[in-house]
Amino acid sequence: MQLLEQQKKSPFNRNHAIRDAIGKAIYDQMGLDQSIHIFGEGAQVKVHYDAPDIERDFADRVHTLPISEDGNANFCVGASLLSIKPIYDLITADFLYRAMDSICNTAAKQNFLREDKSTIVIRSEFLTGGPTTGQRPEALFTHIPGLNVVVPSTPRDAYGLMLTALMTPGVTLFFEDRMIEDGEFNEKVGCVQEAIPFGQSRLCSMGKRGTTTILTYGLMRQVVQQALQPYEFNHDYYADEYPMLCDIIDLRCLYPIDWAFIKKMLERTGKLLIVEPDVIYGGVGAEIAATIAEEMPHVRVKRLGAPRATIPASKSLHDRMLPTREAIIDAIGRW
Amino acid sequence: MTLLDGGRGIMTASVDIQWVGGGSAATLEASATKQICVSELQETMFRIRLLEDRLQQLCDAGLGADLHFSKGQEAICVGVCAALRETDYLVTHHRTIAHAVAKGVPLYPLVAELLGKADGLNGGMAGEMHLSCLEKRFMFCWQLVGTCIPVAAGLAWAVKNYRKTDDIVVVFHGDAATANGQWHEGMNLAAIQEVPLLLVCENNHLAGNVRPEHYQPVNTVSERARAYGIQTMVVNGNDVEAVSEAAQFAARYVRDRRLPFFLECNTTRLGRHKQGQGDLRTKEEMAELALHDPLRGLEAPQGLADEIEGIIQRALASPDEGWPKGR
Repeated sequence: MQLLEQQKKSPFNRNHAIRDAIGKAIYDQMGLDQSIHIFGEGAQVKVHYDAPDIERDFADRVHTLPISEDGNANFCVGASLLSIKPIYDLITADFLYRAMDSICNTAAKQNFLREDKSTIVIRSEFLTGGPTTGQRPEALFTHIPGLNVVVPSTPRDAYGLMLTALMTPGVTLFFEDRMIEDGEFNEKVGCVQEAIPFGQSRLCSMGKRGTTTILTYGLMRQVVQQALQPYEFNHDYYADEYPMLCDIIDLRCLYPIDWAFIKKMLERTGKLLIVEPDVIYGGVGAEIAATIAEEMPHVRVKRLGAPRATIPASKSLHDRMLPTREAIIDAIGRW
Repeated sequence: MTLLDGGRGIMTASVDIQWVGGGSAATLEASATKQICVSELQETMFRIRLLEDRLQQLCDAGLGADLHFSKGQEAICVGVCAALRETDYLVTHHRTIAHAVAKGVPLYPLVAELLGKADGLNGGMAGEMHLSCLEKRFMFCWQLVGTCIPVAAGLAWAVKNYRKTDDIVVVFHGDAATANGQWHEGMNLAAIQEVPLLLVCENNHLAGNVRPEHYQPVNTVSERARAYGIQTMVVNGNDVEAVSEAAQFAARYVRDRRLPFFLECNTTRLGRHKQGQGDLRTKEEMAELALHDPLRGLEAPQGLADEIEGIIQRALASPDEGWPKGR
């Protein structure tokens, strides 16, 4: 227990609220469903530190595999053919590139004919740490039929979406954003613990008619809310800050996307600001912007995100690549 | 090998198979538990050969897809599948037709699938390289070279640790797959997780048109398998009796010990890699290889060609590609 506390105090293990929520969802669901097994590089060590409840009650369903990402993902597909529901923990999102073949060619393709579709959850986390430990490959996977892509930004969403991932036939890429700070604007796992369906976004705050609809996900949801916090309780239509009362929508699922709700909200405002934590070029925002441009040509669209550049190792340099609070306020104010 | 019935083709596997791997084979009883009728095996081989020859004609006429045939390699899957139980699982690679027939997949839906028809096993969605027939435990095919090894290891893991039955999983792959990282990752996983997996290497000494000097720095594929601590055996893959005998031994080893086993079957591919690819081998070389044809000098059972023709015609006349019923 002391070791666990130490681990949580380590600067390398901060921001564990979402991780704990994911662990709780997995623990709760493992109790109900005997077919859920956890596989991964160092899986046993990871649950020892991150999810001691799972280690205590379900140690026989946690399996450490070698550092062979591609083979491991294929191995999980093989196990899923006999109705096991593998949670494959790849640890870092950058490692997904190692397993692209097994995820896109094997996992995503084996369900297309089956009556009894396999459930596979592939977990990984976004870090800040440099060129190959700070990337966000989520947009690549939204392109592949057969995959669901989920990026929760609060513990509550993480809990509900993990339950859904474990109950939904199909392959889900479940990302944990380790750059989201514990604390403010981080809705805890509530008393009512229920699954959140895929393809349902969350309205974080509601603006006024005629202002901006902000569409965001992952880390940027928190940054946007922090940026707009000073304006949140001002309901004076004649105040200078009035345009800052925006709709903020957290996508939560990058595939499937909540098109109906997004379009409904855009009917009100006519202005769409997409704030994404990933490279803008060829990203999730590009897909949304293109679809809206085709289907709602009267809506004005802006995008904020990262440049197409290699992630620097230093946290402060990495932060500079992402949209800042000032940039967000500036974008809302100038149309 | 003992022929029990005066040469009519019944044999037992009471045998002197060369034990190539480390450890000792002597501790494992190799006496036969299952009698195998060679003429039945030959009939299945002819079934595959005649079917593939007929499909070849359709491909040449532009009616078939870019199919991969097993001409010359039929003895391996037929011999191995004869040693399996019906409840054993099979996973394979891109050269699927012979494996499906050997595992007992019904011919009409198979042919209809190969021709992209609605009546096909998978409604025309899977084609040749993504077939599955769960009733026959023909689980799936993975077209990318090497992928089937770690998948089969995972499947075998689930058989042992989740279903907890004494079934085994057999996976076929070629020698070329052993140059691929997935083969190595899969072998490592199979060995470390101690799964009941029978790995059958159809060693045709070719990777498409590429010769072993471009991908195999060792003499036998088995050497690579032994590096993972997996027991191996090398057999003449063009001798169906030898293959079935070796496979009985191997299947029993895997079933009893719940460990992986590697069976290397040397063989000759007598056709092209696939329809859309030429063959760089000379006529002389092909003539030399044809001497090793496992069906050389044998005659196909009467009526088999007509039966296959009937199936082909029925499939050709069936409606075009469609979605599986209820989907």
